[in-house]
Amino acid sequence: MQPLERLVNLVALLLETRTPLTFEQIRGKLSEAYGHEDVNSAKRMFERDKDILRDIGVPIEVRSVDVWEAEQGYTIPRDRYYLPEITFTPEEISALLVAARAGGDRSAEDAVRTLLSGAEGGIMSALAGSTGAIGGARDARLPAVGEAVASLRRIRFSYRTARGDTSERVVDAYGLVLRGGRWYVVGRDVARDEIRSFRLSRFASDVADEGDGSEPPDGFRAADHVQAGPWGPGEAKTAAVVAFSPEVAWLATKGVPAAEAIGTRDDGWTLVRVPWQPGESLARWVLSFGPDAEALEPPELRDEVVSRLEAALAAV
Amino acid sequence: MPRSDGARTAPRKASKRLRRLLVVVPYLVRHPGTPVDEAMELFGVSEQELLDDLDLLFVSGLPPYGPGDLIDVDVQDGRIWIGMADYFSRPLRPMRAEALALYLQGTELAETPGLEEAPALSSALDKLAAALGPDALGGLPARVAATAGGEVEWLEDLRRATIERERLRIEYHALSTAETTEREIDPEEVFVALGNWYVAAWDHRSDAERLFRADRIRSVARTGERFEPRGLEGAGRPLYTRGDEDLDVRLRLSPDARWVAEYYETSSVSELDDGVLEIALPARRLEWLERLLLRLGADAQVVEPKELKDRVAELARRTRKRYV
Repeated sequence: MQPLERLVNLVALLLETRTPLTFEQIRGKLSEAYGHEDVNSAKRMFERDKDILRDIGVPIEVRSVDVWEAEQGYTIPRDRYYLPEITFTPEEISALLVAARAGGDRSAEDAVRTLLSGAEGGIMSALAGSTGAIGGARDARLPAVGEAVASLRRIRFSYRTARGDTSERVVDAYGLVLRGGRWYVVGRDVARDEIRSFRLSRFASDVADEGDGSEPPDGFRAADHVQAGPWGPGEAKTAAVVAFSPEVAWLATKGVPAAEAIGTRDDGWTLVRVPWQPGESLARWVLSFGPDAEALEPPELRDEVVSRLEAALAAV
Repeated sequence: MPRSDGARTAPRKASKRLRRLLVVVPYLVRHPGTPVDEAMELFGVSEQELLDDLDLLFVSGLPPYGPGDLIDVDVQDGRIWIGMADYFSRPLRPMRAEALALYLQGTELAETPGLEEAPALSSALDKLAAALGPDALGGLPARVAATAGGEVEWLEDLRRATIERERLRIEYHALSTAETTEREIDPEEVFVALGNWYVAAWDHRSDAERLFRADRIRSVARTGERFEPRGLEGAGRPLYTRGDEDLDVRLRLSPDARWVAEYYETSSVSELDDGVLEIALPARRLEWLERLLLRLGADAQVVEPKELKDRVAELARRTRKRYV
């Protein structure tokens, strides 16, 4: 008998049974599978099969079948096995498939497949008309961090700040925020005893689980702790002014939702105001426009741009 | 937990197939007469794999495994019917890691500005969270916040032109040359990748298939001319393909510039001391690299070509002149 056939029959048997079945009873019913003469080798095979079922997420419960608790019986509880009834429209299923295929993580597609049986007809035509989406594994640590947030775990990881310093962080994960296409985890930095946000793309190591975390404070909202511009997170209390040449001004304001054109200079350059506070790497963003951008205010920003240019020239 | 010793290979293959069966069969039970190719497409299996799985169901069922106890499988004219399998009429729940991955990827895509599927996706995620409950998703749905990006201009015009096959005249800022130029394009597909919108089109300026990012389009004008689609690769095409005329650029990246190695297509990456990375990067044009290097400053060094080094210095000099 093929192992797969044996496993399918075992699942069917344990799902259908009203009372837990002992190994002897299972052996009697599935005699072709476990009817070896040698009871011990049959038992070993049964144990391996149970492991396989648990690996793929089939819940198996072990319960005493007599009042003396001498004998154990096995059953698959239906409420834990079966997906609850969820009806999806073809558009909803198709959107889920697009999302699953757009991500770097193939397991999301497996999740959608479990949902397909609840779909109304017409999936194929909904799929044919759906938006093409392709993705990549930009945030390889998202699943691990998602799991930590889901269960409020404490995690340890190595983190690189916007200034380039790398250090080890231990954080009680409270929430995830997606802003400007980037994921941030917000939580209590244990060593600093403060709520901080961390951009997943700046993680410099895998995520290690450090056990139970803590409860977020009352009224906690993860999004309040992430205010991101293209140069990094942080609550911007001040603003900078940058002038852009007519060639690129449209492009510069487009990429930054909070940027605001506030006027035009005599030479036709557009003055753009962007939220900023010292310490954020706005200077790099300004430099990425080369001679088509000029940082005007505040003086610290202007000085930083100039000193970076000086450094680049000195290196030649 | 997955194990890695070789002795487990056969059971692992069996477990993968079992999991698939416990998910495919409920779909087939509830959608009688499903075409074979539909099942192949939806479940990502080959015809052979699917038929092998169905063959196995034939001999499965409940004790005492008489003719009336076995699952009924009928494949005719490329369609599938399954009966006598009430206990498999609902699927196994998704694994927790799968459900979490789907929830997060769905949340991410739903926030893509301008996505037509966003409302359907959001309602699907709400249904999923409500039905699976804390077992599968933990407290995640209440702890994820996503904010949509801004509006994407031109998306409607691009979609309409794609459907109506109308040639467009666009002003486009190409990062590779750091220039905005006007060109005529025949747009064939609009798609989203990593949160950005692209249009795949035939570009009459370069006489080749090109991808244009919607947020780098400065203006779109209709031409009133129709075109015949050329069957471009569109979303199936990698965002960057190496050409014969590409130069190999070698850079040394300090830890803070390591993202460059992940963000751009590289042809080699090697680890040096102190977290420094040396990468080779195929590039057709140097203009975008000049600006990238100016932005990276001391965090990146050009190993070769020397021409690039000189051009970065020249760009720095021209930029420095703004600050006098």
